[in-house]
Amino acid sequence: MQANKPEDFYQNVSKALAQPDLKKIIRRTTDKAEAKRAEAIANFPEFDNARSQGQKVKDHTIKYMEHYLAEFEKNALAQGTIVHWASTGEEASKIVLDICRQHKAKKVTRSKSMLGEEIGLTHAFDNSEMERIETDLAEHIIQLAGDPPSHIVWPAMHRSREDVVKLFREFHADPTYSEEITDLVRSARRDLRTKFLTSDIGISGSNFLLADSGSSCTVTNEGNAELTITPPKVHIVTAGIEKLVPSMAHAVPLLRLLTRSATGAEITQYITFHNGPKRPNDADGPQECHIVLVDNGRTKMLAEGMEEMLRCIRCGACMNHCVVYKHIGGHAYGSVYPGPMGSVLTPHLNSLEVANKQTHACTMNGRCEDVCPVNIPLPKLLRSLRAQSWQKKYEPLLNRFVVQSFAAMAKRPRLFQLLSSCGVIVMKVFSRKGWIKTMPFTSGWTRNRDLIEPESTTFMHQYKKMKKTKNGGA
Amino acid sequence: MNKHISEQSRAKIFSAINAAAPTLTMDAKTIQQEALEILKESEFARPKLLSEDATQALMLRIEAGLVIGTSGEKLITLDDLPNAVKQFFSKHSLPQALKVQGIEQLQKLNWAGISTDSDIQQDNTVGLCWAEYGVAETGSFVVHSSAEMPILLNFLPLYLIAVIPKSKILHYMDDYALIANEIAKKGETPRNMCLISGVSGTTDIEGVLVQGAHGPEVLHIIIIEDQ
Repeated sequence: MQANKPEDFYQNVSKALAQPDLKKIIRRTTDKAEAKRAEAIANFPEFDNARSQGQKVKDHTIKYMEHYLAEFEKNALAQGTIVHWASTGEEASKIVLDICRQHKAKKVTRSKSMLGEEIGLTHAFDNSEMERIETDLAEHIIQLAGDPPSHIVWPAMHRSREDVVKLFREFHADPTYSEEITDLVRSARRDLRTKFLTSDIGISGSNFLLADSGSSCTVTNEGNAELTITPPKVHIVTAGIEKLVPSMAHAVPLLRLLTRSATGAEITQYITFHNGPKRPNDADGPQECHIVLVDNGRTKMLAEGMEEMLRCIRCGACMNHCVVYKHIGGHAYGSVYPGPMGSVLTPHLNSLEVANKQTHACTMNGRCEDVCPVNIPLPKLLRSLRAQSWQKKYEPLLNRFVVQSFAAMAKRPRLFQLLSSCGVIVMKVFSRKGWIKTMPFTSGWTRNRDLIEPESTTFMHQYKKMKKTKNGGA
Repeated sequence: MNKHISEQSRAKIFSAINAAAPTLTMDAKTIQQEALEILKESEFARPKLLSEDATQALMLRIEAGLVIGTSGEKLITLDDLPNAVKQFFSKHSLPQALKVQGIEQLQKLNWAGISTDSDIQQDNTVGLCWAEYGVAETGSFVVHSSAEMPILLNFLPLYLIAVIPKSKILHYMDDYALIANEIAKKGETPRNMCLISGVSGTTDIEGVLVQGAHGPEVLHIIIIEDQ
């Protein structure tokens, strides 16, 4: 599947809405995640306190980022980790590939990291002489399918079991002929086992970077991070600079929030802290450890007053609860990060000129903010991006004309009331049995759903009438 | 070349952060004090345990099915371990093949009739490890990498038994973080510290949970009362 581009958002959305089963497939996973999260929060009465504490941890670290980055670097070096810095995704990918080439790597295993996707690492490997092996089951599926991820927690949620059966039969050395999900997972286990053990380099992301020890922390439910990192002779971590927290004790409140918000589980099965290369007598582990600290738009967010977005712990709760995401899925956004958090991040990682349409793909119902484990005011940030996009004249001319005309009308009450009354009459003409199926200038709405018939008179007319009756009755 | 790019990027990143929110010149103690203040909230921001007693809370959590794919039992002394392992073999209809972590307290037990150095890559071999700590809050056991603790012992077998000394069971993850801090102060931080809470699982195909994705499908936690 060819990756969509963010600038083609409207075409991407049309394509997504035209797929008959996509909405059903997306909702199968997101609705389950929503229900499980609600249950987990109901069983955790201290959740609001935890959320407030989690927000404080992130805000504190962001406020003192310069201090904590320097601390992290000093302590990581002391552990024997080689620290690299990258301003852009391109630089980060180049650093990673160069390390692999220095070690004459042929096979590289990678555990899921959205940052890896963000910096274009997967493509960089695919254009190299090295073999990239994705070890997270979902990433394994989309690698075989040639798809980009469609969700940050379940990157293969757009693929059905039938798709997986076909892919595994085509690509696995010893595939299953069963269509049972358990057998499919066993097939992947068999296929990846040898690859884990014969890999030259293991690459991981990091959920948290601990400043006081220079450690990185991985969180998985499959255990693929440890299997990716331990057997090869070199471990490379790629991490965004916003992953910093002061210490392990500060990561703990965020761990309590992360999995409850992501999957509804109280904790994920594997939390591992990685502290540099193996010690001289260790039974296993890599001999060399690198960490690539990536900016790629994060300091720009800090400078532009978007620091609240740097709190994000990548749980995906905002997209699981987003009515727009649930209709169009992740690919339509044309970015590694879909949904509400993606609509805020992508303009910074790419540019607002390219990704301004996504900021409008929001009903402002506020659910994303309600469920965010670190209180990111996503609707406020989206509104601010919309305002910037307007000021920079990125909106299409027709949109600008319509909005300006509406503003001119709304500022003149008499004209507004006259045109509203005319609007009600016109809508009534097109209405059949309480619904409008089609009407001039409304195809954007009526193409995919009906418009409800309006009341007989405008709101203002009814309001005045009601007020008069009330006063008359008193 | 890369070193040059990296140095330039480092300077760029620090200068951009400094322009937005300078803090490097601030007193480190003040920053540390602020960070410690946040931790004082943990007491009111963590879940209640199922029992005030950490061992009891951990066992209740396992028995309630809250730790994926995990069963648990308590033994009075370590000498009872080989028998408990034999019962585990029998319950899961496994051949008596075990890979025992190479530490003295496990190796010296009487494993009569059980092969204790089998290949953990075989799906019918049971891995047996000695946990450094247990955590009641999450139903976890904690392992530290070392000469005697290959990390892969916890990830390759399909069946895993983790032995936790009762005296090392902690109430909360915060308690483990304090211990990790003490270890760091001594300069003895191991390469890996793994908190393991259940078996390897995935919901990546149609949201259905399957155990034994890459690592263990079955985990049995044994708490030794006199340790």
